[in-house]
Amino acid sequence: MTAGILIPDVGPIQRASVLGRVNPLVKLGIALAWLVGMGLTLDVRPPLILTLITLIAGLQLGGIAPTALARRIAPLWLAVLGIVLANLVFSAHNPDPLATELFRMGPLRVTQEAVDAAAGLGARVLSIISVGAVFALTTDATFLIDSLVQLGRVSPRFAYGTLAAYQAVPKLADDLGTLRATRRLRGLREWHPRLIVGMLVRAIRHADQLAIAMDARGFGSGPRSTYRPVRWQPLDAVVAIAALAILVAALVVSR
Amino acid sequence: MGAGIVLQDPASQLVMERVGDDVAFGLENLAWPLGTMRRRVPEALQSVGLAGFEERRSTRLSGGEQQRVAIAGVLAQAPGLLVLDEPTANLDPDGAAVVARILATLRDQRAATIVLVEHRASLAWPLADVVLALDQQGCPIAAGPPADVLRAARALERAGIWLPDDADGSQAPAQADKLGPVSRSHGTLPILELHDVRFAFEGGDPVLREVDLGVSPGDRVALMGPNGSGKTTLLRLAMGLLRPTAGEVQLGSRDPWRLAPAQIARLAGYVVQDPELGFLADTVREEVELGLDAEQLVFAHELCERLALPLESFADRSPYQLSGGEQRRLSLVTGLARRPLLLALDEPTYGQDRRGHEALVAALDELVEQGSAVLAATHDERFAQDATDRRIELAAGWIVGELGPRDGRAEYGIVVAGQGELETS
Repeated sequence: MTAGILIPDVGPIQRASVLGRVNPLVKLGIALAWLVGMGLTLDVRPPLILTLITLIAGLQLGGIAPTALARRIAPLWLAVLGIVLANLVFSAHNPDPLATELFRMGPLRVTQEAVDAAAGLGARVLSIISVGAVFALTTDATFLIDSLVQLGRVSPRFAYGTLAAYQAVPKLADDLGTLRATRRLRGLREWHPRLIVGMLVRAIRHADQLAIAMDARGFGSGPRSTYRPVRWQPLDAVVAIAALAILVAALVVSR
Repeated sequence: MGAGIVLQDPASQLVMERVGDDVAFGLENLAWPLGTMRRRVPEALQSVGLAGFEERRSTRLSGGEQQRVAIAGVLAQAPGLLVLDEPTANLDPDGAAVVARILATLRDQRAATIVLVEHRASLAWPLADVVLALDQQGCPIAAGPPADVLRAARALERAGIWLPDDADGSQAPAQADKLGPVSRSHGTLPILELHDVRFAFEGGDPVLREVDLGVSPGDRVALMGPNGSGKTTLLRLAMGLLRPTAGEVQLGSRDPWRLAPAQIARLAGYVVQDPELGFLADTVREEVELGLDAEQLVFAHELCERLALPLESFADRSPYQLSGGEQRRLSLVTGLARRPLLLALDEPTYGQDRRGHEALVAALDELVEQGSAVLAATHDERFAQDATDRRIELAAGWIVGELGPRDGRAEYGIVVAGQGELETS
């Protein structure tokens, strides 16, 4: 039902793939480095190159089924289209008399500069979406949390609390559906701000119960051991170096 | 040797995404060495009958399996004291039976002291070495070995406590014929009709398949079957909250999906499984009175009295702060108050003691006399026996059995007679 949409299903194939085995922190680092790298230029090519490479890597090295990838990013690509069009139409370059005019539609003047800016922005959003989708579809949540705690020194309370909360999301989405249904069956319109109160009560109650259950199992009582030890592996270094090389190449090509 | 606790709602006590990690979670917190954990986790899972489940996702398990994972997580720590708070309340009879078997094994091993808080006496009684019966104020009524406590049967009943053996009601119908026929179908147009209804969530397996069902005014229908068999989905289709993938649903000869909220509220009352999801107001009074006319108000107040929620003491309390059993009764008041033609009830007796049960059955009977129909999804054998006379069995979305209208109902007198035997044996 709603669960599949909200939480991607990282199956055994994706988990065993190259991208699935790379430490999630490495993938996060790559995403961050690429984001910064793309900020160095306004050119449209580097983000497009990175998008293409990300998608190919997701399919080839991440074991993602093409349909699964398309389902995840297609709606977001529509949003990109919206961003591009809005930037094209409302660009500050359009009224600028010095800008190169491409065409006019009634009162609307579209300039070369506006097209460049809109395309550059669209390509960047596109690459961020693609990187995010491939990350989500190849990263096992448990692996991510374990890495954050063991290698990233994130507080276990925060990390495991987040993991548990994340698992409650589909349940809360179902709860919202039932709350709306109840309103309808009592002769009221379905949407009402009061729904938020019901949802909040549910979320707080769930968190409360979970905290009790975690405490009852000795969470936070002292030093912990780990059931799934996580270590850096050679693969992490290989993928990190390759990703940096790709970024540099993409930036050089566009010069 | 610490203490371990298992709570009522299985879903809200699972921390980790995978079963093995969740069982190991408590061990990690006690800083057990990795090697010991790797040995202990499969052992604990095996002891609850879930061997090989380590890599499964805990959110994808059934409620019964989740509850067993929670028990395994506590058992893994080899606690000296194991506390279980109504561990089977959210489970179907099969799931509850498995949990009961596990508890029986644990008791026989004498590995830990087990404290079981339970409404279902039929489950708890045979497991107990010592029974402590509490009244509504939390004061002890009786304590001691089960047989001794049963001598106080009268006091227990007065406090609304279920007694063992009267829970499944299976021996009751023998004398029931003297109560007269209770098939009350008024033989008029059906209030609810399902024709060859199929339903599947998008991209999912079918939840309901080829379901044909007619409910006429005066009908009292129990929908039974394990968790996930499609009971709630059927109710939601009937209420127009879902749209069938194929087939036709008619509520009062109209498509409920297209009915406006005001129309549907006149035709049907829906009591959802989790009462908290039915609450729309900040106080019990507002909740009860929401959207009712003057005549319905009088009936709603009367219902509050009868279902042990007198407004004098409950009016200003928040619905969210009531106990589970009180919340259930409040949601029943709101569902029944309009005297709708069709009462769709999802687990109406959840968390009810004997008094709550009796009051509900009486209120439903009265509405049925006046021409309402009852369609109740339930695991509660006794409720099905007392409050319904037609039984639809669902399994994996198929209607696999239909029984009734029956010609008799259980009465409590018979059950109490049965207890005398227990006491002397």
